[in-house]
Amino acid sequence: MLAVLLLLYAALVFAFQYVVLTRQIFHDEVQDVETVEGLLFFDVHGALQLRQDYYSRPQSHLLIDRMMEVLDSSGTVLYRSPTLNGMPLSGPPRPGEGDSSFDEHLVRLRDGSHVFLISHIHDMQGRRLLIRLGYDLGPLRSRMYQFFVLLLVAIPIALGLAALAGQAIAKRALRPLNRMAQDTEQITASNLHHRLEVLNPNDELGHIAQVFNHLLNRLEQAFIQLQRFTADAAHELRTPIAALRTVGEVALERGQDSEVYREAIGSILEETARLNETIDSLLLLARAEATQPGNPQTVFAVQPLVDEVLDLLQVVIDERRISVIEEGSPTEALNVRADKPLLRIAILNVLHNAVKFSPTGSTLRISYNQLDKLSPTLCIGFHDQGPGIATGEHERVFDRFFTSSSLATAPMSGAGLGLSVAKLVIQRIGGEIRFDQDVRSGARCLIELPVFER
Amino acid sequence: MIIEDDRRMSDALASGVEAAGYDVATASSAEEGFFLVHTERPDLLLLDLTLPNRNGLDILRQIRTEGIDIRVLILTSHNTVEDRVEGLRSGADDYLGKPFSFPELMARIEALLRRSLPPSTPTSLTVGDLLLDTKTRSASRSGEKLDLSGREFDLLLYFVENRGRTVSREMLAKDVWRETSRYTPIDNVIDVQIARLRRKIDDPFTVKLLQTVRGLGFSLREPQA
Repeated sequence: MLAVLLLLYAALVFAFQYVVLTRQIFHDEVQDVETVEGLLFFDVHGALQLRQDYYSRPQSHLLIDRMMEVLDSSGTVLYRSPTLNGMPLSGPPRPGEGDSSFDEHLVRLRDGSHVFLISHIHDMQGRRLLIRLGYDLGPLRSRMYQFFVLLLVAIPIALGLAALAGQAIAKRALRPLNRMAQDTEQITASNLHHRLEVLNPNDELGHIAQVFNHLLNRLEQAFIQLQRFTADAAHELRTPIAALRTVGEVALERGQDSEVYREAIGSILEETARLNETIDSLLLLARAEATQPGNPQTVFAVQPLVDEVLDLLQVVIDERRISVIEEGSPTEALNVRADKPLLRIAILNVLHNAVKFSPTGSTLRISYNQLDKLSPTLCIGFHDQGPGIATGEHERVFDRFFTSSSLATAPMSGAGLGLSVAKLVIQRIGGEIRFDQDVRSGARCLIELPVFER
Repeated sequence: MIIEDDRRMSDALASGVEAAGYDVATASSAEEGFFLVHTERPDLLLLDLTLPNRNGLDILRQIRTEGIDIRVLILTSHNTVEDRVEGLRSGADDYLGKPFSFPELMARIEALLRRSLPPSTPTSLTVGDLLLDTKTRSASRSGEKLDLSGREFDLLLYFVENRGRTVSREMLAKDVWRETSRYTPIDNVIDVQIARLRRKIDDPFTVKLLQTVRGLGFSLREPQA
C-alpha cells in the first residue's frame, strides 16, 4: 500500500517536474525570440546577421546552446546558427507555422538530438521572416532520467525507513499493552486479587485496563463464592456419608439377627435418599447458574403457576388444616418470561417452606400486588404464622446449606438449599426475593418478578 | 444380561435380578458384553453407557445394525434430556438415570419383557378384599365403598397394578404425580398422601395392605399368612 502510494507520488513529482521544466524552456525561448528579433539585421550584402555584442558574457548558455534558423516566406534559409552545424532545424515552413504568435513542437535533428522548438513570424523591413528557435532537450532529458533513477532508488529506501519508523512507533505505542499482557499473565486463579495498573484512566488503554479490572472483580467474587460453595458442599456431603458409615459399621459389629440388619439397611437407604436430594439440588443450582440452553424461556402467567404448586401441596395443607387466603389485586393476566420448570421449583421451595413452618390450623396468606417501579413488577407475598425468621438471619437464610441455629425451626431443617435455589432462579430472571423484616409474627417472603409486556 | 463396568453395581444388580427369578450373565467391558450378546442371546440387556474405552451407545448401535432381537435398558448417570433422546434414538427401549431405585428397575424390566404381550386393561382389579373399578374410578374394601379423591384413586390404582412389588418414591413422583423433573422435591407430599390413603383403606380394617418398606418405598400386598 505504502509502496503504491510512494510510486504514485514519485510519478506525479516526475511529471510535474518535467512539465515545469519544459514550460520554463518554452518561456525562455519566447524571451529569446524577442531578444533575437532585436538583434537580427541585414548587412550591407543583404544577408541576415545576428549581432553578437549584446550579451555581456559571450559564454552565456543562450549563445552556446541556442539553435536558430531564419527562413523567408519562400522557405529559403536566411540564417542558421553555428550550433546547428549546418543541419536544418526543421524542413520547409509548414502551412500556418508561426501564425499564432509562438508555435511549439518537438523535432528531431539529423544527429538524433531532440529539440524543443518554437516558431515565430517576424516582419522585418517589409519581409516576412520565420524565426525558428530551439534548445536541445538532451540535457533536460538526461537530468530527468537521473531524477527518475534517483526516485527509484529512493522509494525502497523510503519504504524501509517508513517500515522501521512504523515499527518503532507501534512498539512504543504497544509497550503499555505488552505490559498489560504480562501483568495479565501473572493473574491466575490463585492470585485473582491482582489488578492491572491504570496509568491514565482517560485514554483507551486506561479504559481497557479499568474494564479488565472490573471483570477481575467479578471473577474474583465468583471464585470466592465457588470456593466457599465447594467447601460447604464437601462438608455437607461428608456428614451423611459419616452417618452411613457409622450405621453400617455398628450394624455389622453387633448385628446377629436380620431385624437389626433390616433396620440398618433401611436407615442407610433413607440417608442415601437425603444425599441424593442434596446432590440433585446442587445440580439444579449449577443448572440455574449456567442457565443451560435446552430450558427454553417461555412467557406465562405467574398466578396459575402458584395455584398449580398450591394444588401439588394441597394434601399437606389439608393435613395440617392450614387455610390459605389469597388476597391483593387481580394479577392473573400478568406474565413473566422465564424457564418455567425452574421457576416452578423456586415457588415450590418457598411455598413448601411456608407450609412446613406453619403451625397446625394456622393461616397462610398469599398476596398479589402490582408495583410500578422502574418497570411494572409483580410482587407475591407468602406470609405464614410460623416461628418466623431469627433476627439477623433475614439475609443468611438464602445462603447455601444455611440451616438456622434457632431451636424453633431446627427439627424441620432440610438440606438448606431450597431457598438458595429459589433465589438464584428468581435473580436469573431479573427478580428479587427477600424476607420482610417488618412483620410482627411469622415469616413473610416477598418475591418480585419483572412483568413481561408484549 | 448386564454390561456394567462398576463391579459392585454389577454384582448388586445381578443378585437382585437373580432373586427375582431371572437368569443373569454379566460383562464388565463393551467387548466382553458384545461377545456374550452373541453367544448367550439374552432377552434383555442392562447397559451402562459409561464403559471403559468404548461408549455404550456404540455397542447399542452395533446390536441394532446387526438386527439382534433384544430389549435394551440403558442405565446412566447422565440424566439430561439430550442424553435420553440420544439413547432412545440409538435404539434403546428404555432409559433409567442413576441413581435409581431397585424396585423401579425391576418394574421397568418386567414391563420391557411384558411388552411382547398385548397390554390388558381389566376394568376391575382386586387385591384380597380390595376391589378397584377403573371404569367408574371407584374402590371398595370388603364391600364397603371407599371415598377417595382423584389423586388417591390414581395412587391406589398404581399400587394395585404393581401389587406385591415395592414402589419407590421416584416412581410415584414420575408415574402418579407426573413430575417430569427429578429435581422437584415432593417426597413430603407423597408421604402425606400415602398416610391419608392408608387412613382410608387400611385403618378401618384389621388386615393392612399398604406396607412401608423402609428405605425402599411402599408396597401393596396381602400379608403372608
